[in-house]
Amino acid sequence: MTHALNAVADGLRLPLEFSPSTRAPLLQLPEPAASSPELKAVFDDIASFYAMDRPPAVFRWMARDLGFLQGYWTATREAFTDRRLDRLMKEILALAASMTAKSDYGVDFHLREARRLGMSDQALTEAVEVVQLFNTVTKIADALRLEPDFSPRATDASQPA
Amino acid sequence: MEIVRISEPEDLAPEDQKFCEATKPWFRIDFVPKMGRVLLTVPEFGRPYWRASRRAMAEGALTRAQKELIATMVSAINVCEY
Repeated sequence: MTHALNAVADGLRLPLEFSPSTRAPLLQLPEPAASSPELKAVFDDIASFYAMDRPPAVFRWMARDLGFLQGYWTATREAFTDRRLDRLMKEILALAASMTAKSDYGVDFHLREARRLGMSDQALTEAVEVVQLFNTVTKIADALRLEPDFSPRATDASQPA
Repeated sequence: MEIVRISEPEDLAPEDQKFCEATKPWFRIDFVPKMGRVLLTVPEFGRPYWRASRRAMAEGALTRAQKELIATMVSAINVCEY
């Protein structure tokens, strides 16, 4: 989900939400003020979820097709809702994905979200260390074509023996 | 197919063999992962790298499980099967 949103946001050159940005969108973004009641309800839900004055640009572009926005937003909100993983951890994972994919939009967005949800400076330091470590070893593994050591199912307690 | 010969633990220096043994309880496995052996092929690189790695993956503000999730996410984005 994060990877796809980042691809769209960076691909369409959507301005960063929380950092200075000179990026000009490649297409016009619908304005919340000019939206229909049905669209406004979705926009309000999105803005509320992220504690923003208006929806992030990556969701505003989707308003060009209300049905698509409604479906995609509902799925996104569900994906980031507290369950076994809480919303903060999911935002930290989204930040790691964004850093690894080198997404300016994603790093800006998810860093703000993780901080807003309570990520400490120490937790940020630790998360970035892990991102750095595994961006190193995954490249080494691929360069040397290392075959996996582990079978994921072998350590998955939920799988039948 | 791997493009380098991966050292067996017994091929490594005694100091590095001790490190290899220590990886088993860390990961709760009975073998030494290839990555550890590959990195220790150049001990001057591998030893400090693994010290940094062990430090970074220890419990802290984030749990080790949370850090492994982040590592999994990085691996997935990089499409790294290993």
